[in-house]
Amino acid sequence: MRLNGLRKCMWLLLILPGAFFVTVFMLIPLFSILISTFFSESTFTLDNYTRLIRSTYFQQVFGRSVRLSLLSTLLCACLGFPCAYYISRYSRRKGLMMALAVFPMFTSPVIRSFSWMVILGRKGIVNQFLVGIGLFSRPQSLLYNEFSMTVGFVQLFLPQMILSLLGVMDSIPEDLTEAAGSLGATRFVAFLRIVFPLSVSGLVTGAVLVFTGCMTAYTTPQLLGATDTQVLSTMVYQYAMSLRDWVQASAVAMVMIVVTMLISGIFNRLSRKINPMAA
Amino acid sequence: MALLELEHITAGYDKNIILRDFNLKVERGQFVSLLGSSGCGKTTTLRLIAGFSQPNEGRIVFDGKDITHVPLHKRNFGFVFQSYALFPHMTVFDNVAFGLKMRKTPKEEMKRRVTEMLALVDLEGFEQRYPREMSGGQRQRVALARAMVIRPDLMLFDEPLSNLDAKLRVKMRVEIRRIQQELGFTAIYVTHDQEECFAISDQVAIMNRGIIEQMDSPAHIFNSPKTEFIAHFVGFENFFDLTRKDDSLVTDSGLALKVARDLPGDHFRACIRPEDVSLCQAGTEGENRLQGEILVTTFLGRNIQYNVRTAIGEFVVKAGQERVYSVGSRVSLELSANKIILIGPQA
Repeated sequence: MRLNGLRKCMWLLLILPGAFFVTVFMLIPLFSILISTFFSESTFTLDNYTRLIRSTYFQQVFGRSVRLSLLSTLLCACLGFPCAYYISRYSRRKGLMMALAVFPMFTSPVIRSFSWMVILGRKGIVNQFLVGIGLFSRPQSLLYNEFSMTVGFVQLFLPQMILSLLGVMDSIPEDLTEAAGSLGATRFVAFLRIVFPLSVSGLVTGAVLVFTGCMTAYTTPQLLGATDTQVLSTMVYQYAMSLRDWVQASAVAMVMIVVTMLISGIFNRLSRKINPMAA
Repeated sequence: MALLELEHITAGYDKNIILRDFNLKVERGQFVSLLGSSGCGKTTTLRLIAGFSQPNEGRIVFDGKDITHVPLHKRNFGFVFQSYALFPHMTVFDNVAFGLKMRKTPKEEMKRRVTEMLALVDLEGFEQRYPREMSGGQRQRVALARAMVIRPDLMLFDEPLSNLDAKLRVKMRVEIRRIQQELGFTAIYVTHDQEECFAISDQVAIMNRGIIEQMDSPAHIFNSPKTEFIAHFVGFENFFDLTRKDDSLVTDSGLALKVARDLPGDHFRACIRPEDVSLCQAGTEGENRLQGEILVTTFLGRNIQYNVRTAIGEFVVKAGQERVYSVGSRVSLELSANKIILIGPQA
């Protein structure tokens, strides 16, 4: 009994510093922001939200934010899955491959966005190539639109997707695919029936990371987008810094949080459908 | 003709060759064990047969057909893993049905066969469970059912019981043997547990460093090991040399020993089990007696083990507790003629 009590105390001690930090610097400020959006001169009101939802401009920005984030998540999943599968199953130099996959994370998003400006610009290599092979006669505008934003997002968050997939795939024993093979499954079928469903939990973790990353990224949409391709995060900045409307900015921030949580929940539910035993 | 033949197989990676010019024949309907310590190549052999890996050289012939390059999923061999390798995201039913789904078996038939197989391994009513909700023994039975339900042409077992506790191991090996005899399939069983493989097999192939040292029935191996390695393996602990002189076999110390099962040849390595040596008081006369001095006594419960120094080396003797000899006392060892085993003539 005494030992048990002691052990409980130890657990408490272990989580205390983290809990303290999260409470003081995140939960309390978040809560105060949440409260502030529901009051106007100390009376309860939903005005801040109804105004937002009725505004067509907000609807556009909201739609673009969710659409680009979902698209980037999908692209990251499609690009990350084969990559993680290769690293986990076939690569002999796993450490090196992982380092390569994660390497982009060592540079700041600002620098990466500037690089994309160079690459995608009118005189960038992509345009030079497209004109060079005669696909277009004049350089195309590849920058400051949803295309360049998506490219930026995918490059920004692909490592997260690969890492979370890799973590799960590495824990799938090789003998499961062998067992499937001995029972008559081709490699492809074994992948589809065994490896894929068992990787879904990693896919979901990755998707949540990428999606929330895209929703909240600020520098990438700011640098690779334009004024007519605003997303929620740049909108928050605009409300708070340019218009000095902190309450409206807070309301937008709240919408972002709710949407992110909602979509993460949907991802989780989908995964449980594919692999009912996934935690 | 043998059902399965491995001919001149070489396997391994780069500089680490595990099998070199390896040969094996398995007759239809037999339960054959590959026995050996870790690293002897037994699992490599099994994985080659299953099709998980390819030999560098040689061929594998099954039922008269060369299957060396037939891919894994077309071989129709059942494989039971040490780790069970059950699909964690599928129920017991779906695990067992997996092979039938791959074969596009009609729904009705599939359901019937899975149910039948689960009944055979004593797991009725567990259809909707997930593997993680089951015990080790139950999981192994699911793995067994999953491999057998496809009516494989050959069953392969890779140390299937080594993750179970001792009691369950004994129970499961009887189960496996019962099912094998009931269904009559041919099986190859890899293990490092001598008792397990002797209990379960028709034929045992003892492997050492990538070759089969001896392949025989368990009783034959137990009673007449062909090499010193095998003799060690099946419990012989006392080894000595015998040389033929004037029609009798003589030890290095000059003692003539009678041996019941003589072999042609002049020089032999001979061996005897600790249980087969009897101890008596020093000086007693008689045939096949060796004089010695007790070095160590160890209490083993049912009997006592003595390490005895003799003129031809240290002997290990296991004797009953009727009479206890203390360290330093002089004794006489009787090596009964029909318990001394000669191992092939020495060069």
